[in-house]
Amino acid sequence: MTAGGENLENDQIILATGGYDHTIKLWQTHTGLCNRTMQHTESQVNALEITPDKQLLAAASYQHIYMYDLTSNNPNAIVNYEGTSKNVVAVGFEENGKWMYSGGEDCRARIWDLRSRSSQCPKIFEVQGPINCVCLHPNQTDLFVGDQNGIIYRWDLRTDNNEQLIPENDAMILDIAISPDCQLMTSVNNKGRCYIWGLTYDNDSSTVMEPRHKFEAHKRHALKCKFSPDSDLLITTSADQTAKIWSTADFSLWQELKQENQRWVWDAEFSADGQYVFTASSDGFAKLWNVKSGQLEREYSGHQKAVTALAFRDAP
Amino acid sequence: MALYDNKYWLLSHIRNSFISTDDTGMCELVMVNEAKEIRQYLGNVESYPEPDDSEDEEDEFESYDLQMDMDFGIRERSNTAAQLEKLDLARKKAAKMKHIKWETSKEQPDINELFIKKDISQAVKKPERKSMLSVLMQNFSHLPMNPYIGYSKFDGCEQVNIPTRRYKIFLTMLSQQQRNYPINICCVATAKIQDLIGLTLLKFSTNHGDSNVNLKSVSNYGLFICEEDGEVDRDFPCLDPKECVAKFGFVCLGLVEHKENLKSVSFPDESQHTISEERMNRIRTISEKSKAEENRQKSDLMAMDEHNKRMEAPLYQSFRVFMLNKVRPKVEVNIGISGERIEIDPIQQKGSKLLAFKQRAVSHYMDTIAWCEITDTKSNKATFKLVYNSNFGTNYNSVDIGGIWKFLSPSSSFPPALQSSTSFKHYDFECDISTAQDIVQKIKLILEVRSSSSRKEYVAAREGKHYNKRKNILSLK
Repeated sequence: MTAGGENLENDQIILATGGYDHTIKLWQTHTGLCNRTMQHTESQVNALEITPDKQLLAAASYQHIYMYDLTSNNPNAIVNYEGTSKNVVAVGFEENGKWMYSGGEDCRARIWDLRSRSSQCPKIFEVQGPINCVCLHPNQTDLFVGDQNGIIYRWDLRTDNNEQLIPENDAMILDIAISPDCQLMTSVNNKGRCYIWGLTYDNDSSTVMEPRHKFEAHKRHALKCKFSPDSDLLITTSADQTAKIWSTADFSLWQELKQENQRWVWDAEFSADGQYVFTASSDGFAKLWNVKSGQLEREYSGHQKAVTALAFRDAP
Repeated sequence: MALYDNKYWLLSHIRNSFISTDDTGMCELVMVNEAKEIRQYLGNVESYPEPDDSEDEEDEFESYDLQMDMDFGIRERSNTAAQLEKLDLARKKAAKMKHIKWETSKEQPDINELFIKKDISQAVKKPERKSMLSVLMQNFSHLPMNPYIGYSKFDGCEQVNIPTRRYKIFLTMLSQQQRNYPINICCVATAKIQDLIGLTLLKFSTNHGDSNVNLKSVSNYGLFICEEDGEVDRDFPCLDPKECVAKFGFVCLGLVEHKENLKSVSFPDESQHTISEERMNRIRTISEKSKAEENRQKSDLMAMDEHNKRMEAPLYQSFRVFMLNKVRPKVEVNIGISGERIEIDPIQQKGSKLLAFKQRAVSHYMDTIAWCEITDTKSNKATFKLVYNSNFGTNYNSVDIGGIWKFLSPSSSFPPALQSSTSFKHYDFECDISTAQDIVQKIKLILEVRSSSSRKEYVAAREGKHYNKRKNILSLK
């Protein structure tokens, strides 16, 4: 742990975690030490996302989205996006940082214009149930929204048209993911099932979804699903105290990430090369796992309560 | 505060301040239950006593749980003041924040500028390349992890809504120059002393990793009370590593490495040495040399241990045990044993309604103690008996240090000694086996050294009894 060189390198890698203890922590990934703690006093952290330019960290929380400065040591938020009436549960960015999307329990998905912070040009999409998840297609114009009524909406931001899918009755959509190669879409629900669609694109390149596969990923709520950057692996996390990595070639189980008493596994994120994966769980730890061996490599301890959200930015 | 003229309140506040800042607990012991007497007294003196139910006084004068917040100093502010300050802070914080409110505008966003469809046909698989994380992990895989990393969860820095404690900790194992300044540690209030030690070592090793101090495992260190200038107060033992940090009010602490060879300052007795030597010789004849060496070390250690125990026996040590009584429920007490005396202090049970069963705090001079032995051992518990001479110089026998325990048990353990002859009484205690053995051994060693008349008498009486018994048996035959 010599100063200097590594610190520079480490600046490019950002691991942020947050949860129910009202703090957000930044970690030095290889030593497991906490670099910085930010205070998120007003609410729990529902979701975390790092801006594409790695300058800001967005934390979705009750009625607000707070932005923290990653480049300074300011423990307090510097921007507060307000005006939503309930929990904001999802947050994300357009790849150039032009706008931010959010989804909340107030049944609305919103687009926040980030270019000039004074003039707002917002866009809103209302659905029937409280929103659980929002996912942006790599084409940057299709926003997928999943709600508690079990409906997946594809919202075309250019035309404002939308298309609905109901994979299963009486089940909540808990997360949606789209593979980086744009070939697959997946969603998980509160019954632990995982649904896979193949994505094709018609003449005017609008997205067409074809059901392809369905499997029982977990015994209880499946909470998150994420593809690896090379689209070869899919990780699902669950209330059954495990995270499972699946091969997207045939959706066979590749690795089960399990630890005694780790309780609910809320969030996960792959490293840029898909060799490692981070998980966040209710036992108050963020963990780093080796994807190949399934071994636990690091534990990040410091949170006093459940860790429910993590954001990670690797450097290629 | 300056305008406060309620005598009761002021008195109560002073008393509470005494109690809450006195870490020895003596103030509390002395002052407990005094409040009502004082009130009565004041009520009698004053010709026009204030009504009892004046609004701003606490009903209960005895709030011994009053927690002094070290950061704030004198007293907790009223809720309103605290609330106002909180609001003020929030406002200040908010002023530094940029607020962007959701507004619904009729203006349509410029779709072609904002939402540009990306050509995804080029979304090909990235070439296999190691990510920065993998590189880091590979580079650092051969390095050992910080052994104290597990203690990071007790870090109290910037925690929200969680009680924390701040300490200035002086690291005495550092070089003279470095140890002048303490490191500031903030830990969660639920941490134990050993967790605080671990956290301190973690902070030190991460922030001063370049210093050439060889850190050992947490159990090798102890935290001592210390002065503001870092001078460790060695008159007190180190804080119990298993206790919660919230129990201690000290802010300045010194981290001291336990020296294994601390005991080696004193050398074993000549006699013990020769005995072990002899034993060694015998062993050596039957076993290999190396094994003999090992055994020799072992027995040396044992001899040292024995010696140390003897040397340490008169040093003050306290144990937590249960006092047994035939008619009352068992009471948890502290037994403090030193070469001079044995003190039995009841541990105040919070919220206990059984006031009638409160045990008096008593103290016996060592010369009055006659015998101590283990009477019964069960699977995990042992009971032991402490025999004392109840009228060894009537007045100076049992000194009632509490003095104000109002609710004495109906069957007081101290009836006035009427007969002039020696009368032995005993206490029964219960605790785990190893503690019982420690206590009994300690007391026995002290008694051996002192060989008081009480003990001689007791032993003689006991032997007499034995003798009589044996005689009876013989005569029956």
